[in-house]
Amino acid sequence: MSFLVPCPNCGRRSVYEFRFGGEVKQVPALDAPPALWQEYRFNRTNAAGVQTEWWFHRSGCRQWLQAVRNTITNEVLETYLPGDKH
Amino acid sequence: MKFHFQDKLIEAKDGDTIAAALYRDGRRIFSRSFKYHRPRGLLCVSGKCPNCLMNVDGIPNVRTCITPVRDDMKVKPQNAFPSLESDLLSITQRFDWLMPVGWYYKTFTHPAMWHAAEPTIRRVAGLGEVLTSEPKEYEHAWMHADTAVVGGGWAGIQAALEAAKDGGQVVVIDDQPALGGQARYRKRGGEIPVDPIRQLQALPNVQILHDSYCFGLYEGNLLGVLQRDPHPGAAERLIHLRTQQTTVATGTYETPLLFPNNDLPGVMLSTGVLRLLHLYGVRAGKRAVIVGPSALSEEVSVDLHEAGMDVAAIVSPEELVSVSGSGAVKGVQTKAGDFECDLVVVCGPRVPDAGLISQAGGKLTWCGVKGAFVPSGFADHASVVGDAAGGELAGFATPLPSSKRAFVCFCSDVSSQDLCDGIAEGFDHIETLKRYTTATMGPCQGRMCQLSAIGVCARETGRSMAETGVTTSRPPNPGVTLGALAGSSHHPIRRTPMHYAHEKLGAVWMDMSDWKRPRYYRTQSASTEKDCVLEEYRAVREGVGIIDVSTLGKLDLRGADCGRLLDKVYTHRFSDLRPGRVRYALMCDEGGIILDDGTISRLSEERYFVTTTSGNLDFVHQWLDWYLAGSSSDVHIVNVTAGYGAMNVAGPKSRDVLGKLTSLDLSSAAFPYMACREAVVAGISVIMLRIGFVGETGWEIHCPAESSEALWEALLEAGREFKIRTFGVEAQRLLRLEKRHVIVGVDTDALTNPYEADMGWAVKIEKPEFVGKATLSRAAKDLSRERLIGFVLGGPGLPQDGAAIVVDGQLAGRVTSSRHSPAQQTAVGLGWVKASQAQDGATIDVRVDGKLVQAKVTMQPFYDPEGGRLRQ
Repeated sequence: MSFLVPCPNCGRRSVYEFRFGGEVKQVPALDAPPALWQEYRFNRTNAAGVQTEWWFHRSGCRQWLQAVRNTITNEVLETYLPGDKH
Repeated sequence: MKFHFQDKLIEAKDGDTIAAALYRDGRRIFSRSFKYHRPRGLLCVSGKCPNCLMNVDGIPNVRTCITPVRDDMKVKPQNAFPSLESDLLSITQRFDWLMPVGWYYKTFTHPAMWHAAEPTIRRVAGLGEVLTSEPKEYEHAWMHADTAVVGGGWAGIQAALEAAKDGGQVVVIDDQPALGGQARYRKRGGEIPVDPIRQLQALPNVQILHDSYCFGLYEGNLLGVLQRDPHPGAAERLIHLRTQQTTVATGTYETPLLFPNNDLPGVMLSTGVLRLLHLYGVRAGKRAVIVGPSALSEEVSVDLHEAGMDVAAIVSPEELVSVSGSGAVKGVQTKAGDFECDLVVVCGPRVPDAGLISQAGGKLTWCGVKGAFVPSGFADHASVVGDAAGGELAGFATPLPSSKRAFVCFCSDVSSQDLCDGIAEGFDHIETLKRYTTATMGPCQGRMCQLSAIGVCARETGRSMAETGVTTSRPPNPGVTLGALAGSSHHPIRRTPMHYAHEKLGAVWMDMSDWKRPRYYRTQSASTEKDCVLEEYRAVREGVGIIDVSTLGKLDLRGADCGRLLDKVYTHRFSDLRPGRVRYALMCDEGGIILDDGTISRLSEERYFVTTTSGNLDFVHQWLDWYLAGSSSDVHIVNVTAGYGAMNVAGPKSRDVLGKLTSLDLSSAAFPYMACREAVVAGISVIMLRIGFVGETGWEIHCPAESSEALWEALLEAGREFKIRTFGVEAQRLLRLEKRHVIVGVDTDALTNPYEADMGWAVKIEKPEFVGKATLSRAAKDLSRERLIGFVLGGPGLPQDGAAIVVDGQLAGRVTSSRHSPAQQTAVGLGWVKASQAQDGATIDVRVDGKLVQAKVTMQPFYDPEGGRLRQ
């Protein structure tokens, strides 16, 4: 694994500068049934293809960002700061 | 220059490699083969075959034919006893019938058989000995370029000049000490392109890496480059080279022909003979027989004649029957007659060196006209030029006799007969044949053997070369030393601002993540750790002690929405915390599992001071940031961990000590337990928290790192009359255990929620929303699983961390922390048991030194259960 992640603040950087933060997903409502919370906490979609993920630029701007990545080719199609695109 | 080989001092000329100097000195046997211990001599003289591997200055498996001689280096042969000339283990080749292909799989059908044979096999087979010491330094470097050109021959030079035209940054990687490629040793392969080389060297945007090879082309166009001897301080440098475009100009390499005894010392590839002659001025023999197609043979023959060597005959591969000799070539048998000679020059088939291309997603496809697998279908960012692309190959068919002595794989002694046997046993796919026979899997990574292996497989299975296909090339190729991959052995250490003061006080250090912390302090009155810790304990309980807690994570939060963020992320409520007050802070995840703990102090309306455990700071900071991400909350978090030192002054006399250094009213009325103040102590601005991890009156004082040592010294000076004592982590752990304070990650694990850890008081479940509320609301009602309990041991001894807790002869739980408690006069500890057994006064058994000792459960602290001393 040695792909590049285009950080919105710092530009293209080695993936080793980042911490992976998991898939972007919806937090269940407080009164959601336990099964839904379990799903949220323990299960991953693990898509073979394009998915949106959290990444933290640990050795750079130290900001959380979201990346749209193809998990098959490791091509990062797009990155943005959370809130910039909703 | 001189170097040591075994017990001999060998002279070397300027520019010599180790192998060239040894050859000039008369050495013909350079190694013994992996399995049969057959003598092996120089073959490729280009670092591609396994025949010249030796131990150089303690490093095993060094390719001596491309390693320049350094003065005084120590070179030793490998895998030979007692010497290369007479290796006793060469007897193994007489028993080759005992070791057919797949021998390991067929023989060792039970683990016991393998265990019995393993020591012998390890002694007999194999390569060099693994280095246990670490005499060499390795380093890593990072480079960026627009274009990387791999290969410094004619094609590489042209490609580099072309790429440099537009001013882009170009890096040329050449495995030779000088540019020129095969023109350097093939006098009839074209002149060395002197002018283009000068032009290239003069360009400011071109960097040339000599003696370097590219071992892998990875995702994101990252090239792994290994540079030998980058400077006297390092043996090797691993360069992470990131480029936009990679041009592969690695040319071709020559591979051996198959005939009986094709591995005898004296059988050499033609390029090897020419390299020895033209690069090092060494004649490979006196009288040679040249084997190969006529065009190539003629060229070599002229060179040998000019160098004054006899050419006994030029033989086509089809005519050759075998080579004879024992330990060295004596003669050649051909269909046209026998010839005496001491050198057999093999003009073997050329193979494009295109492994990098297949790593970049390209394919190698068979080209019948060229008689080679040539690269095709590249990725956008990689291209191939020159001979590596199959440029000037003139393919020729070579005979592939099946013989036990016609070696396909020189690395692990696999003959063409072995391949036939493997195919007969059903391993008729090139990939399974590779794995079954281990051909192409040795140190040469298939360079010498892949083409012949495919040829034999194709012939035996009746398939074409194209149908048979190539095995997959994976990085690293060529191999890389583990030292180079590991890089520098530098290990970062974090020291607190008072580090050198501790050193003077006799601190005995312990490592906590990257930090160095005093475990305890050695004094004149106490010599053993136990005595020292006990003295430190007594000072805190009866007088006053001071401990460096600078390793705590410290976050400074400012803004109008801090309270709201902390309410969300921590289980307690912080928006209603009054300025000047401190609260214990517990952090859980969405599953209600405890992640971290610390304290949160509200210094003013819009400023909070958060501490975390030493090892979790980065995590907590990122966790807080994640909950802020994308919101417009007015919160600014600054990590002040390195900027602030911290110390805890604790004990009944701590107020007396501090009182000498500050005008602040320290009485419990003015500065009660769980209060915080910004103050001046010994002229230094500090944040003071009145908290008590160790269970006594005490203050945790945070101050700028640059003043921390001064404050530490001032407190020691002021405390001298009260016999203040510095205490370390070990005493602190004992003191906190008596107070039943948990350490997150020691007494809790990845399944612990606050209710089970008996810290439900730290969860404000009625808060409308916080991380973990959904799960904790249910956990609060269901305490049927496990509970954290305290226990007081009824007998002598001290349970180890992790010791079993037994109830009614059944395993019921485990100990997480245990120490001998001076307050209880026996061992006390924390542990997990089934919820039904977590009753005050219940009896459990704890395993101590292999025996069960009775203990009493308590849900109360072991010392000062009412907490009166904290509030004094």
